[in-house]
Amino acid sequence: MAPLIQSVLHPAGVQAARLNQLWWVMFWVCTVVFISVLTALAMAIARGRRSASNASDATLTGSVGAAVGISVAALLVLLTASEITGRDLDALKAQNALRIQITGNQWWWDVQYLNPDPSLTVVTANEIHVPVGRPVGIVAKSNDVIHSLWIPALHGKRDLLPGRQSEIWLQADRAGVYRGQCAEYCGAQHAKMALTVVADLPDDFERWLSHMRGPAPPPATESQMRGRDVIERGPCAMCHSIAGTLAGGRTAPDLTHLASRSAIGAGSIPNTRGNLAGWIADPQHIKPGNKMPATGLASEELQALLDYLETLK
Amino acid sequence: MGIRAQRRGLFLTVAGIAFMISACQKPTSDTVQQSPASARALSGSLADPARLQQDDGQWVMSAKNYAATRFSSLGEITPANVKQMGVAWTFSTGVTAGHEGPPLVVGDTMYLVTPWPNILYAFDLTKPGAPIKWQYDPKPLGAAKGVACCDIVNRGAAYANGAIFFNALDGRTMSIDAATGKERWVTQLTDINRGETMTMAPLVVKGKVFVGNSGGEFGVRGWLTALDADSGKTAWRAYSTGPDKDVLIGPTFKPHYDSDRGKDLGITTWPGEAWRIGGGTVWGWLSYDPEADLLYYGTANPGPWNPEQRPGDNKWTAGMFARSPDTGEARWFYQTSPHDLYDHDGVNEMVLADLQMNGGTRKVLMRADRNGLLYVIDRLTGEVLSATPFVPVNSNKGVDLKSGRLIPVKEKESKQGMVVRDICPAAPGAKDEQPMAFSPKTGLLYIPHNNVCMDFEGTAVSYIAGTPYVGASVVYKAGPGGNRGFFTAWDPLAGKPKWQIKESFPVWSGALVANDVVFYGTMEGWFKAVDANTGQLLWQFKCGSGIIGHPMAFKGPDGHEYIAVTAGIGGWPGAIVSADLDPRDATAGNGWGGMLADLKKTTTKGGMLYVFTVGGGT
Amino acid sequence: MGRFTFALVCTMAATLGCERETRRYTELPAAANRSTAVRLTTLQPGSPQPISNVQSPYQYNAYGLAEGKRLYAAYNCAGCHGVAGGGAIGPALMDDKWIYGSHADQIFSSISQGRPDGMPSFGGHIPDQQIWQLVGYVQSLAGLVSQDAATSRNDDQIVGKPENRIEGTKQIQTGHR
Repeated sequence: MAPLIQSVLHPAGVQAARLNQLWWVMFWVCTVVFISVLTALAMAIARGRRSASNASDATLTGSVGAAVGISVAALLVLLTASEITGRDLDALKAQNALRIQITGNQWWWDVQYLNPDPSLTVVTANEIHVPVGRPVGIVAKSNDVIHSLWIPALHGKRDLLPGRQSEIWLQADRAGVYRGQCAEYCGAQHAKMALTVVADLPDDFERWLSHMRGPAPPPATESQMRGRDVIERGPCAMCHSIAGTLAGGRTAPDLTHLASRSAIGAGSIPNTRGNLAGWIADPQHIKPGNKMPATGLASEELQALLDYLETLK
Repeated sequence: MGIRAQRRGLFLTVAGIAFMISACQKPTSDTVQQSPASARALSGSLADPARLQQDDGQWVMSAKNYAATRFSSLGEITPANVKQMGVAWTFSTGVTAGHEGPPLVVGDTMYLVTPWPNILYAFDLTKPGAPIKWQYDPKPLGAAKGVACCDIVNRGAAYANGAIFFNALDGRTMSIDAATGKERWVTQLTDINRGETMTMAPLVVKGKVFVGNSGGEFGVRGWLTALDADSGKTAWRAYSTGPDKDVLIGPTFKPHYDSDRGKDLGITTWPGEAWRIGGGTVWGWLSYDPEADLLYYGTANPGPWNPEQRPGDNKWTAGMFARSPDTGEARWFYQTSPHDLYDHDGVNEMVLADLQMNGGTRKVLMRADRNGLLYVIDRLTGEVLSATPFVPVNSNKGVDLKSGRLIPVKEKESKQGMVVRDICPAAPGAKDEQPMAFSPKTGLLYIPHNNVCMDFEGTAVSYIAGTPYVGASVVYKAGPGGNRGFFTAWDPLAGKPKWQIKESFPVWSGALVANDVVFYGTMEGWFKAVDANTGQLLWQFKCGSGIIGHPMAFKGPDGHEYIAVTAGIGGWPGAIVSADLDPRDATAGNGWGGMLADLKKTTTKGGMLYVFTVGGGT
Repeated sequence: MGRFTFALVCTMAATLGCERETRRYTELPAAANRSTAVRLTTLQPGSPQPISNVQSPYQYNAYGLAEGKRLYAAYNCAGCHGVAGGGAIGPALMDDKWIYGSHADQIFSSISQGRPDGMPSFGGHIPDQQIWQLVGYVQSLAGLVSQDAATSRNDDQIVGKPENRIEGTKQIQTGHR
């Protein structure tokens, strides 16, 4: 069976587990209510045919009272469960939390790992790593329209609003790969706006994060050198950035560690050389309407570019 | 071709050497300060700017002297007779951009460098009407105009040892023989494809020419470079960001405050590689204290303006350095605006003076900063003695004198994607580059400045080499009171104004104190003389275009005192007129459109040099 | 100088002169074509040919104009020409004065080729399609596109009239700033 990477019913973190719990409480309460109501309805239908109403006012008052009582009780159970879950969700806020800023764009996620020491911040896109067992505070923003961040295995949804800042706190308790998805319709490619979440063991995570702090390695071969040249002299640098090169664009995903990501086009296709070549040659074919234009690179330029991009681990 | 060029080079070298030898043989005298102007010589040890700057008959550097006082003790023009002042002669530069910077007078010659195309003119003051003696055209690239943020200005030249030093907009520093107008050397220092230009006035100290780059709005990495005055070769370069070795921070660096101590703060106070494109250019004014042997200069804003793209203190931008002129080693640094939120460059001039404070004499520097505070700082240690607001300020609550840190105001912090309204002072600051003057006679600072607030929205911005790296939508508006400018006489000891003149437009000209009379110009084109003690308007003259130039005083070969100033609207605010911007866009001119629409109906462009004297024009 | 050397020099000079002195009375057909290049001036010898027949492909296209608006910010055009086209380092784009002409192909060539007075050359750095989108947006700043197609949406600080409320006036080629 394929791993359930995007399922609310298979929580991988404490927040999602709490929501899952609440969900089951609601499910069972609602199920009981639903069955009771249907049963009562069926009984009423059956009895109504038999006799005209001769129930006394007292009986009626008793029935209505019981019904109201049960309803209020059920409501209270749900309210309490909801309140408790809400408080529990809030309780994750912690001082030592990892802080990640995620900014929604049409149709990709800009990711920054914040740090009180600014030189330790990390910029990446469309794929986040989180350490298992450590709370993560996500600062959610948007650069254009309203998006919504939803990683079902870790937490509920949180809207990303232009001009505002919201927060969501989550924690992964199981190592693994999970999938997030934009959950608020945001335009033509709303469906292809996915966020890969990799939950690493703490040591692996620290290793990953410190690797991400470094700039892109200098090109080693002639072809890689040519590839970097294609980026700096060509259209790529107008929108993308690669730390350590002249490319400093902010309107498209950061490519400094592109090769370490599992997918391209915000989860559109797996990150392989062939797919990358296809994407660069004609991104509109793969994800129509996305903001990357066909760049018209010559095949020699494209191959050199791919040689270089593959080094951006 | 190669051989021919070599031969020509050899010929020029030989000719140059021959010329230099002949120049050395000119008669020299050691009495420069007393001698009549007509007898002043240009050559040899006499030409040392350290001495010339003390001679009030001449004006050999932009700021008049190393202490940057713009004070002249020439006393022929007095409050009593200034009413009889009139035009002695004029000169049209033929350039329609903003004319900042003063002309120089050395011996019997006046030197004026225009805005782009940066032509250097020499005028013979001994002849009627001061005809052109020679002119030098450096032919700067037109493309450079596309990366000059705030009009294509030039802030003046410097004289030393028989040469005029100045910068061309396309990033060249040059040394021109003051007598003949022949080129001595030209050094290319910047790359316009990276957005780097040069607009500042060099300073010459002990055989070195100090120049800095412009381009804080283009993601350049700021620096100050020392060139050998004889050869034009780089002696040292101190960057404003990056590792300590690039910033020339070593064991002699002793900043006064803790926040400036630590290893490689020029990297660790920036995210990632942002320090490489972090600004901190050096386009403003330099001062020098010969006794302490310290060079003072300010570093400009960090880039981009959008502060969210550069979390951290962004060292060493928006602050001031004291360095050894010989080696460039930093001695202290003070950051006026850590993690600058409003484009508050720290490049304004620093006036050096010895003030009687707390019962003793303190060697201080005074700086009226963009952030609205007038700093009095111990120039030997970098300790802030006082920081007093000189305009209405709501974006900071002054300086915590213990930590030296500017106290920010949370609700006025600029942000990305949000419009923060009514931030005072605005991006051009309470006062921009327009230099103030200081009179040791009155003990007052004469500050030409702005009264401008703004609405600010940070926007995400890409670094694309050679294009603006700003990331902000800004709209300026008149500050409290509605007048957009002030001319203020400030008492630095009392920390309050002695008198103040309201002006309709920002006062973007420099100030000059000629003994008891203070001069400044307005953007309408009025050149004004006011009483240094009372601020009473004594005389005014309407020039052909708005004034953003820096007035200067000199003694002519005839022994009389003259005042010179350039008119020619432009500069950052005046570009509305000089570059014919459309004020229907409130961000036109990077924020001035909303508040300077009436300037287009008030003045027109055109550069003209005016020279005044008592009884002139008769 | 030896006679041989003299002869050699003469021969070389004569050989070198050959190409210079060639008179080609007919050229390859392509080279002989009359130019249909973008004209940057209205002045022509004789009776003028049309300045331009090229329309912006996005003149009536809301998506293209909106993309132009996005690119105007993304490529830092706003930094020089003002957020609403009021100008700063570069000339104003919202007024009726044009240095190099207001026709679509004239604006296209200004963006693509650059101009020696400071306009960077974007050709090769961005695809032609995006240049055309920018052309459309730049024209909309001066009210030169269909008002029902011009973008009205503004996500940031309002600093001028929305593009679809700007009325086009007679555009003049001034040739200077």
